[in-house]
Amino acid sequence: MKKVAVKLGIDSEDLASCVSCGLCLPHCPTYRVTQEESASPRGRIALMRQAESTGLIDQTFVDFMDACIQCRGCETACPAGVPFGSMMETTREALTQQTSYQSWWRRWGYRVLGCPNILTIGSRALAVLQRLKLLPSKLALPKIPLMQAPLVPSGEDVWLFTGCVMDVWMRDTHRATQRVIEAAGAGVRFPDKKAACCGALHVHAGLGEEARRLARRTMSAFPGDAPILVDSAGCGAQMKEYGHLLNTSDAHKFSQRVLDVHEWLVNHLDELPAAHANPPRIAIQDPCHLRHVQQAHDPVRVVLARYADPVILDDEGLCCGAGGAYSALYPDTAAAVRERKIESINRAQVHEVASANPGCLLHLQAGGVRVRHPLEIVDDLMRKDI
Amino acid sequence: MNPQHFIEEPILRFASDVGSVGPVTVVGGQTQWEVGGLPFPGSREVRAPAGIWSHEPEEMTVRCGAGTSIGDLNEKCAQFGQMVPFDLNSEATVGGVLAVGRSGFRRLRYGPIRDLVLQIRHVDHSGQIVTSGGPTVKNVSGYDLCRLLVGSLGKLGCIAEVTLRCLPIPETTLWLRGAGDPFEIYNQLYRPSSVLWNGKQVWVCLEGVKSDVESQAALLDFEEVDSPPNFPTQGRMSLEPKALRGLAGNSTDWIAEIGVGVVHCGESQTPAPLSNTNKVLMNELERRLDPSGRLNPGRQLVAT
Amino acid sequence: MVPPSADKPLLDDLQTLLGDRARAEDFELGLYGKDGSVLEGRPAIVCLPINSEEVRCIVNICGDHKRPFIARGSGTGLSGGAVPVGDPVVIATAKMNRIIEVDLDNRIAWVEPGVLNLDLSTQLKGLGFHFAPDPSSQQVCSIGGNVANNSGGPHCLAYGVTSAHVAAIEVVLPDGSITVLGDLTAEPSGYDLRGLFIGSEGTMGVATKIAVRLTQNPPEVRTLLLDFSDVRDGAAAVSAIIAQGLIPAALEMMDHRAIEVVEAFVNAGYPTEADAVLLVELDGLAGGVENGVEVVRRVAEAHHVGEVRLAADEAERALLWKGRKNAFGAVARIKPDYYLHDTVVPRGKLVEVLEKVYRIADAHNLIAINVFHAGDGNLHPILAYDSREPGVLERVHAAGRAIITASIEAGGVLSGEHGIGLEKRDYMGMLFTEHDMATQDLVREAFDPEGLANPLKILPSGSRCSDSFGQHVPEGAWV
Repeated sequence: MKKVAVKLGIDSEDLASCVSCGLCLPHCPTYRVTQEESASPRGRIALMRQAESTGLIDQTFVDFMDACIQCRGCETACPAGVPFGSMMETTREALTQQTSYQSWWRRWGYRVLGCPNILTIGSRALAVLQRLKLLPSKLALPKIPLMQAPLVPSGEDVWLFTGCVMDVWMRDTHRATQRVIEAAGAGVRFPDKKAACCGALHVHAGLGEEARRLARRTMSAFPGDAPILVDSAGCGAQMKEYGHLLNTSDAHKFSQRVLDVHEWLVNHLDELPAAHANPPRIAIQDPCHLRHVQQAHDPVRVVLARYADPVILDDEGLCCGAGGAYSALYPDTAAAVRERKIESINRAQVHEVASANPGCLLHLQAGGVRVRHPLEIVDDLMRKDI
Repeated sequence: MNPQHFIEEPILRFASDVGSVGPVTVVGGQTQWEVGGLPFPGSREVRAPAGIWSHEPEEMTVRCGAGTSIGDLNEKCAQFGQMVPFDLNSEATVGGVLAVGRSGFRRLRYGPIRDLVLQIRHVDHSGQIVTSGGPTVKNVSGYDLCRLLVGSLGKLGCIAEVTLRCLPIPETTLWLRGAGDPFEIYNQLYRPSSVLWNGKQVWVCLEGVKSDVESQAALLDFEEVDSPPNFPTQGRMSLEPKALRGLAGNSTDWIAEIGVGVVHCGESQTPAPLSNTNKVLMNELERRLDPSGRLNPGRQLVAT
Repeated sequence: MVPPSADKPLLDDLQTLLGDRARAEDFELGLYGKDGSVLEGRPAIVCLPINSEEVRCIVNICGDHKRPFIARGSGTGLSGGAVPVGDPVVIATAKMNRIIEVDLDNRIAWVEPGVLNLDLSTQLKGLGFHFAPDPSSQQVCSIGGNVANNSGGPHCLAYGVTSAHVAAIEVVLPDGSITVLGDLTAEPSGYDLRGLFIGSEGTMGVATKIAVRLTQNPPEVRTLLLDFSDVRDGAAAVSAIIAQGLIPAALEMMDHRAIEVVEAFVNAGYPTEADAVLLVELDGLAGGVENGVEVVRRVAEAHHVGEVRLAADEAERALLWKGRKNAFGAVARIKPDYYLHDTVVPRGKLVEVLEKVYRIADAHNLIAINVFHAGDGNLHPILAYDSREPGVLERVHAAGRAIITASIEAGGVLSGEHGIGLEKRDYMGMLFTEHDMATQDLVREAFDPEGLANPLKILPSGSRCSDSFGQHVPEGAWV
C-alpha cells in the first residue's frame, strides 16, 4: 500500500504516557463491536507512535483513525490519564492539512453548519421532502419542522446557547429548557447569529482552522459576564475547551462562563416547583461529552431526580454510537454500538430515556428508543403539578 | 544459590531405592490398593519416606515425605488449629492419596485434593529427583507437573515429597440428617461442606463460626448426627453433578456427593472411556516419562 | 504490502480460509506485537477467527507451512507470553467472545476464549454467581488468557486460581486435532491434562472453549482499609491475620507511592500520608464476616494501625477496589514506563523482602512502587522509569534480577500469577535444575513435538529440544 510522509506533531510526552495496559479496551465502543486492536484506543495510540516514528502513513492508518467516534470514554477509563481526545484531534488536523483526508463533500457539509441561513433553507427543503414521503426511510431522520417561531428572550440573567442543527430541528427543546430556567427564577437571553455553531464537529473532523474561526465568532456573540448555559452536551464540551483551542485569555475566561444547563440548575433546585408523588422511572443515557469530557453527568441525575426516578444504565457510560457526524459516516458501526446501548436500556426496564445531547437523542430515536431531552421531561412533569 | 535446591537425606535414599532399572511398585498405606489394577507380581516394592520436614503455621503450609500417614499429618497440623482436608483413612499415606487422586467427602467446600498441592518432588524412571511447583501458596513458575502427578497412580513418577496447603480447622462442624430434595437443599445453602444423598436421606455438613452454622441449619428441618454415613467402598462413579438426579429410584446401595458428582457404590465400576486423541496424548506422556514402563507396572489409567 | 517474512503462499491459504480476517498490512501487524509488558515482537500474519473450526484450520495450515503460531487474548499479559517471536502467525481470539451456555444445574458456564473476565461475572450477577479469578485487569483480560496463565487476582487468596475454576477445555492441539481436556464430572478418567494445560501459556495448543465453574456470590461482603505509618507494621499485620486462622477473601497491600498515584486517579480518600495501607475483604455468611472484621481490627490495632475504615456501601467498596485494580496503569503518572515483577515469598518474609526491594531500587537509582497480594505473599514490585533516559533499561534489568534473586533466596518463586513467558524464561534455572526443566520439556513435547505452539516461551533457550526457530529475542528481553 502506498505510503506518504506525514508529521502528526503529537506531544511526545502524551505519546509516551500510554503504558499499553489495555484497561481502555472495554470502554471503547468501536472495540466493543469489532474486537479489533486497530479499533481500540491502545491500538490507535500504537498506530500514532508508529506513524510518528517512521514519518510515514498509508490508507489503512487513515481508515483506522477515521473510525474513532471520539467519545473519549477511554480517557475516563485510563488510569494513566492519557489525553487521547486531543491526540486524536491533533492527528486528524495533521491528516487534514497534509493529506486529502477530508473529501470536498465532507468539508462542504461541515461548512454549512456554520451558516444558519443555508441550514434553515436546506432543512426546510428536507421537511417538505419528508412530508411528501420522498426521503428514504433508512436515513432515519426525526420529524423536521417546516416553520419555527422565534425564541423570545425573558431577561438577562443567563445566556442560552442555541447552536446549529439543534436550533433548526429541535427548537422546542430550547423552549423547554427556557421554561425550566425561568421556573428557577432567571431570565433567559439568546445570542445572535454569530453563535450559529460551536465548531465541535469541525474539531473532530480535523478542521482546526474552521473550528477556531467558529469559536472566535461564537465568543463574540456573548458579551458581558452572565453565565452561558448549554443544553447540548457536545456543544457545551466544545465551548468549555475554547480556552485550550484558542489559548487566549479571553477564550479561557469565556470557557469559565460556560455551564451545562444542568450544572446551573442543581444550584437553583429549591426554586423549582415541588416534586409530585409517583415519579416515573426514567433511564439516563449519559452523553459521552457530558460524562467523559465535561464530567457533568451527575447534575442531570440530580435535576431529573426532583421529578422522576432516574435509573442509571449498567454499561458504565459506554457510547451510544451517535458521535456527531459519525452515525452518518459509519451507519453500520454506529448501529452496532447502539445495539449494546439498547440492550442496556432494555435491562433497565424503563418507560422512557433521557439524553442531554441532541445527537445521541436522534440516534437513539432512530433505533426505536423512546427518548427525550431531560429538561423536556422535567418541563412536562414540573408543569403537570402546577 | 537457591536454598530450595536442598534435598532431604531420606528423599535421596528413596531415589536410590527406586533406582534406574527393573520394575518398581511404590507401597503406601494400601488403603486404596486395588485402584487401577494390582501391581505386577515380581515388581520390587519401595516405600517413600515418612516424616514432616516442616510445618509453618504462619504460612499455612506443610512439607513432608510422601510416606507420611495422613493421620500423622493432621495430628501435627491440628496442634496449630490447622488441617489438610483429605478425609480418608488415617493410615493412608500422603503420597498414596495423591497418586490415587480421589478427594474426600468435603470436596464441595474445600475443592479437589489436587488443589491443596503446592510442590511435589518425585523420583523419575531414571532414579533422578524432579521438583515441580513451588513451596509458596501461589505459583505459576513452569509447567504444572503437580496436577499431572495427582491421580497418576505413580505411572509418571514416584511421589517422594510434597508441600501442601493447610486450612484452618473450622470453629464448628455440624452433621445433619433429614429428608428432602438434595438439589434444592444444596441451592438453599451457602457453601456447605458436604451434601450427601442415598436416595432416601440427605446428610449435610455445615462448617464455620457457630452462628453461621446455626443460621444455615435453621433453614433445614434436619436432625443432628455425630458423623457422616458409612460409604460403600467397593465402587465409585464420577458423574456430572446434575446427572445425580438420575439416581432417584435406584434401589442399590449408594451415596452421592451432591454438587460434586461422585457416587460411592457397592459395585466396582469401569471408568468412562477416553477419546482417542486424549489416549494418544496420555500414551505419549507415559512413553516420554517412563520409556521402559518400569514405574508401578500393572496399574492402568489409559486402557490400551 | 506483504512483509518479507510472511511468505505469500501461507497468507494465501489463510485468506482463502478467513478472507479479510487474515491480515498482513504493515500498520496492523504492529498492533499485535506487544502485550502489557515491555517486550515487543512482530507477527508475520494476524488471524482473527470466529470459531473453533477456523482455529483448527489455521493451526493445520501453519502445520503445512511449518510455521509457528501463537494465540492472543486481550494482550494484557505481563510477561511477554503473547509476544510473537520466530515470525509466527498470531491467532487473536478476541472475536470468539460468546458465552455459549450457562448450566446452573452443574454450576458451569461454557464460554469462548475471547469472553472478557468481568463481562462473564456481570452477565451472571442476576443469577447469583460469578467467575472467581479476578486479575486486576479483569475488566479487559480474556478467559482464554486466564487459562493460558493460570491467572489469579486478589480474591484467589480464598477462592484459588484459575485452575481451580476450570472444569474442561476444548483445545486445538498443535497437530491440528481438536479435543476436550477434562470434563464436567468429578473425577475424569486418565491423567489431568486439563490441569497441565492451564498455565502452559499457549505452548500446548489453543483453547477454543472453556467450561468455567461458577461460584456463589457471597451473601455478605465487608471491605476494610487499614493505614499504617510504617510499612513494616502493615506487612507484619498480614502474617498475623492469617496466623489467627482467618483467610480473608482478599488481603492487599499498597505502599506510600502506590497510594499517591492511585488516589490521584480515583479520589477515593486513600490516606496519602500513610506509609502503607491494607485493603482487606471478608465475605461469606454474616457471622463469619463480622467475626473476621473483629479479628482484623484487633490484629491491626496490635500493629499500630492508624485508621480502620469500613466501606459503608457498595459504591465505596467499588471505589476502593477501583483504586487497587488500576494501580499499575496509574503508575504512568510518575514515569511513562514500568517494569512489573511478580515473585511470591513466604508471608513471614514479606517485611524482609520488601526492605530489600527498596534498597535494590535505591541502589539502581530507580523508583520502586509496591502494590500487591500480601495475603499470599505475592509481591508486585513496580520499577517506574522513563525509557527515553539512556541506559535506564540496563539498570531496570539489573534491579529486576536482584529482586528475583532476593525473593528466591527467601524461599520464594519466580511468578505467582503472571507467568514466565519470554520475560522470565531465562530465570527458570534459578528455581529449577536442568533435569527439572528437561522433564518439563518432555511433557510439553508430548503435546507439541514440532515446537510450533508459541515457541521460545517458558523454558530457557537451549533447554528445549525443538528450539528450531532461531534465537531472535526482542529488544528488552532478559537474555
